[in-house]
Amino acid sequence: MVIDEPRRRLHPLSPLLRSAKALVVIVVALSWQTLRQVGLGWFALMVLVLLIGAIIMSVVSWYNTGYHVVGHELRVYEGLLWRRTRAIPLERLQSVEVVRPLLAQLTGLAELRLEVVGGGKTEAPLAYLSVADAAALRDRLLALAGRSAAPVEGAAEVAGAAPARVPGELLLAVLNRDLVISQLLTPQALSLPIGVAFVVLQFGFDPSWSFIGVASTLTAIAGVLLQPVRRVLRDWNFRLSRDDTALRLRFGLVETRSQTVPVDRVQGVTATWPLLWRAQGWLRLTLDVAGVAGQDNADGTETDRLLPVGTAEVADRVAHSVLPGVLLGALTFQPPPERTRWFHPLARPKLGVALTDKIVATREGLLTRTVMMVPFARIQSVRVVQGPLQRLLGVATVYADTARGRSAALRDRDLAEAWWLAAELAERGRVARLAAPDRGRVVVPAPVLDPENAPLRPQPSA
Amino acid sequence: MDIAAAGPTSPLSPWPDTVDWQPVSRDLIWVELIRWGAMAAMLLVPLGILWGIFGVWPLGLSFVAVLVLMLWRVWAIVRAVRAWGYAERDHDLLVRHGLVVRRLSIVPYARMQFVDVSAGPLERVFDLATVQLHTAAAASDARVPGLRPAEASRLRDRLTALGEDRAEGL
Repeated sequence: MVIDEPRRRLHPLSPLLRSAKALVVIVVALSWQTLRQVGLGWFALMVLVLLIGAIIMSVVSWYNTGYHVVGHELRVYEGLLWRRTRAIPLERLQSVEVVRPLLAQLTGLAELRLEVVGGGKTEAPLAYLSVADAAALRDRLLALAGRSAAPVEGAAEVAGAAPARVPGELLLAVLNRDLVISQLLTPQALSLPIGVAFVVLQFGFDPSWSFIGVASTLTAIAGVLLQPVRRVLRDWNFRLSRDDTALRLRFGLVETRSQTVPVDRVQGVTATWPLLWRAQGWLRLTLDVAGVAGQDNADGTETDRLLPVGTAEVADRVAHSVLPGVLLGALTFQPPPERTRWFHPLARPKLGVALTDKIVATREGLLTRTVMMVPFARIQSVRVVQGPLQRLLGVATVYADTARGRSAALRDRDLAEAWWLAAELAERGRVARLAAPDRGRVVVPAPVLDPENAPLRPQPSA
Repeated sequence: MDIAAAGPTSPLSPWPDTVDWQPVSRDLIWVELIRWGAMAAMLLVPLGILWGIFGVWPLGLSFVAVLVLMLWRVWAIVRAVRAWGYAERDHDLLVRHGLVVRRLSIVPYARMQFVDVSAGPLERVFDLATVQLHTAAAASDARVPGLRPAEASRLRDRLTALGEDRAEGL
């Protein structure tokens, strides 16, 4: 039995905000070149005409966009000529994000983004709702998805309070100073002095200070610095907390985001130690959530940051809250056999595999070290791949595939060990699923191992 | 190199005692050969014609090179099809394939999202079909070609039945 609730519209200010976004796109599309060719007056006129067009389109689109919750689905209607109704089954909900760009902050609006499995991009961004509406809808959706511990109270409480308040136990607050330093210690930021010196020299020898020249140079420098600056702006005031079932992340300076990820939707955690952060002993953690788009965009817009920068101790605390019983420092990695040094002349001792009673972890990278951790319960399939060179050395690579589309690669294991690992991952995955069909937090005993066929022993803690 | 003689650590048949590997139909060899032959012919025929007209030796050399490559590939196809196998265990489906790069996939039934059964025109001529199991991981690689249609439907029905039994969220 489904009670039909009325279809609701987005906030009436949405078209204006969307048009403001379009303004930026228009100016960028017209570029400095056009400005020089047509002069300021015509340029302004062109922008104005395009902007009015954008506003009209936005208003039409706003008028025809609506959403409501039907049973266990969120339905989103949009389009004038090509009508589209999208039904999002909430059982598939992976994470919900409330995003507030600068203009939305000024006008008290927020955008709601849903991540579902199989979505290459964020599904159904509802832009824009009032903040209270967005928070209420988020809690309602999470409750309907069957992930929230106390749906009714939670919804009421959060709807009443400002969403800036993060409910649950605060796990972590990243110092902005550390964040800025960490982003200064990136190749882009370090290469800036060279770029500036180059520009100054060029102008020194050829002082043709045209407006176009200066503007273009500044644009180029901004392009190089874009990623670190964006990261700083994005991860500003990073707060992580968790309640019974979900992680709540809140961050951002110009655009604040608050993301809610149910803990049992976490497909894996990746720890990265960039080379330039070694002196501080810093690392960052990223979260693998099925359906969260944009991880590999390489423009710093990934939406799955778990810890932008932190010490090993902080990272352990965070990792522990997501993958219980996991301590980064306590993982002992088994490197691949000696004979694979021809494949990895320098990195071989840095590679490795570790199994605990709940996760499989792989370590890679000589300069930028990464450790990827996948809970057994989240393994989708296991593959063993052996290339021709690997066959010569009697080794094979085992992959543990997750729904995220990334696989933990257990590189160049001895063949017998590879088979053992594959069988073990499949079996432990099955046991973990049985013990915890939906949740990843129930303690799962490690299956009994056959010591004869176990070249890689589980951790003593297991 | 010989699969049969490689013993228990053979890359293509792990756990020989517990896993009952099913081969795929030998007719798949013909399907693959015709596919490959059509491609090779597109390369060989123009090369041969050009060689016939101009008679310069580099053309002849490439013709022979392509021919040798093609013959090697024929041999490889025969062996690759023989190496392809699948096994239904209690909780998961095993698929092995590949000759140069050898692959084994273990896909739990519970992780199945949907099953594809497909048969191209060439496969239909030889009365074959392909079953592919999809999981939420794009990297999962559980494709079984060269099945008789009856076997393909049986496998599909079994997989969906088992998947329903054990289905769960992510």
